[in-house]
Amino acid sequence: MKQDSKLKRDIMHGLKTWARVNSPWVLHFNSGSCNGCDIEILATLTPRYDLERVGVKLQASPRHADVLLCTGPVTRQARERLVRIYEQMHEPKFVVAIGSCALSGGVFRGCYNIMGGIDQVIPVNAYIPGCPPRPEAIIDGVVKLLGSLLPPVTKVQPVSSGNGRGSKEIAKA
Amino acid sequence: MATSKVSETFVVPIGPQHPALKEPGHFEFTVDGEIVTNAYVRLGYAHRGIEKGAEGRNYIQSLYLTERICGICSHIHATAFALTVEKLAGVEAPPRAQAIRVLVAELERIHSHFLWLGVAAHESGFDTLFMYSWRDRETVMDILESLTGNRVNYSANVLGGVKFNVDNEQADAIRKGLEFLEKRAHHYLDVVINEAMFLQRTRGIGTMTRNQAEVMGAVGPTARASNVPRDVRVEAPYAAYKEYPINMVLDTRGDVEARFVVRIKELFECCRIIRQILDTLPPGELTTRVPRKLPEGEAVMRVEAPRGELFYFIRGNGSDKPDRLKVRTPSINNFTTVIKTAVGHQLADIPMILSGIDPCFSCNDRMVHIQNIHKHDENWMTWEELRRYGIEYYRRIRK
Amino acid sequence: MNTEEILTTAKELVKSWDWATEVTQPAADRLDVKVKELKELIPIIVALRVKRLGYLSAIVGLDPGPETGELEVLYQFCPGNAVITLRVRVPRKKGSVPSLCDIIPSAESYERELREMFGIEVTGLRTPDHLYLPDDWPNGVYPLRKDFDPKKAPLPK
Repeated sequence: MKQDSKLKRDIMHGLKTWARVNSPWVLHFNSGSCNGCDIEILATLTPRYDLERVGVKLQASPRHADVLLCTGPVTRQARERLVRIYEQMHEPKFVVAIGSCALSGGVFRGCYNIMGGIDQVIPVNAYIPGCPPRPEAIIDGVVKLLGSLLPPVTKVQPVSSGNGRGSKEIAKA
Repeated sequence: MATSKVSETFVVPIGPQHPALKEPGHFEFTVDGEIVTNAYVRLGYAHRGIEKGAEGRNYIQSLYLTERICGICSHIHATAFALTVEKLAGVEAPPRAQAIRVLVAELERIHSHFLWLGVAAHESGFDTLFMYSWRDRETVMDILESLTGNRVNYSANVLGGVKFNVDNEQADAIRKGLEFLEKRAHHYLDVVINEAMFLQRTRGIGTMTRNQAEVMGAVGPTARASNVPRDVRVEAPYAAYKEYPINMVLDTRGDVEARFVVRIKELFECCRIIRQILDTLPPGELTTRVPRKLPEGEAVMRVEAPRGELFYFIRGNGSDKPDRLKVRTPSINNFTTVIKTAVGHQLADIPMILSGIDPCFSCNDRMVHIQNIHKHDENWMTWEELRRYGIEYYRRIRK
Repeated sequence: MNTEEILTTAKELVKSWDWATEVTQPAADRLDVKVKELKELIPIIVALRVKRLGYLSAIVGLDPGPETGELEVLYQFCPGNAVITLRVRVPRKKGSVPSLCDIIPSAESYERELREMFGIEVTGLRTPDHLYLPDDWPNGVYPLRKDFDPKKAPLPK
């Protein structure tokens, strides 16, 4: 019985990870940036890059989002909102800092009204540098983050079909 | 904000907006039933302390700082800064450099207007128009990337001139791109003035008479849509605008539709000027020397950003760092017009009135705070819902 | 009117009334009018407006240094290509200027910024709160003054 429920848990975890990886719901937050990074993020949704067709959905509410895309050097005014949004997201949640301002404050480092980067306020899982980073770089960064969520390749499970393709398929995943 | 009747206060945080050094935090609208009775603006979400920052950086570093005041009109900020520094230093950039500055500025205006068109369309529920205009905008970004190396933050300026040249091959590529963009602009003009769904949200909404626009200090296309002939490129030509004069685009109606029409018609002017520059680019140097330490004194420069008049003031004290940098961005003037014109309108019209002044962007990180002043409880809603409220409202009354 | 004519008209206007001013022309397209009596600021502005000599483009605060004991406020009017600047000096402690909001509504945002950045009171300004600075900014700390000490406004944790 214990094995059954562990199996169930593993399956659910795998399913959720697959869903999260293949269709992440992202929330975008601007903590005081010049908007350069933000328009490149929005550009990833427009026909040339079209992230929506691979399942990335831009959410409006923190309660439904898996991934928080943050831009900006975090001004004092934006700081509280950023913290609140982070707290409203459900686990597991991931934060991506986009652009040099989000990484370290960028050119504004040292100015009196900024915290100096997203990780001064909330934990960050991925950093995408650039001023601003191209849409390709943003997509690459997000995909790398999601790729790191997949189970490691060394877990090879026995395949019952035995047609010889099994292990190759798993190694690719 | 409290009134004695049962009314609610909608706090609409717009989220960071450009082209500001300081960007808006939120607008507050007090609503009585459906009608707006009061409006107020509180900015600060993107206040980064740039003016103070420039005092601690030398002029060259401050150039890179001003480029990042706004990602959408980064070039015009840098151009204004470079022009002000050159004025203070008493030097003039060579004619070829000035012409290239104008070339990039007009390309930036095209990109900015397409961007705005998409965002404003999204506000009214016209998502197809948003997708199409942003796809078309990629053409301009390709052009800018091939000229300058970056899609955003082109960094074309140096103190004393520009960084790059334009050769014949690039000129031909630009001409081809312009052909495509002009065709698309004609299509959008057609949509904006003929599409019934659109007109319902824009015709007769947010009207400002010429007198009101002048008194409220409107600038840019927002002012020109109310027949106020204010355009710094015409009134106080800078860079190469004396050699390549602009025809002002005016509209007499003063409503949101007029603001759409003015911006789209400006696209044609931009294309015309760019072609003229490419055909008659003056030969010569790209930069002139600007001393590291600038003399004591003050210099003022006004330029026409895509959103209106941008005002730069620098005070030098003989050192290599500015004593004072002042940047007055166009949106700060135009916010006053939103506050005054919103009163008396429906809540459902607020998204379009705000879009009309071209308040930069980002529909998704705006949250609306609703406070019921009688119950003292607070609800966080999303801007999405306010936007959809407007779309639903008009869908209902169409039936 | 071209730039020269505009500036000549402005100079004559200022001379024709008996105001306590000092007029200089620091550049071909600029006119500086030092307004020595604060109470004459608004009459001068009204006179400029009546003659349609420019709209208020910006209000710039300047800090000439703590040792001078003063702060300076520049009102920049822009007719065509020219810039007419009215310059006013106020004491650093409890200095104040009158609000222009009744004649020029768009001045409100400029004045709010002037007040919070330099600590110059603007009498008659109706909106009491900050325009750009955060709500939790400490009182009495003015970022654009030369003697601003960032340690007095420490960043929250």
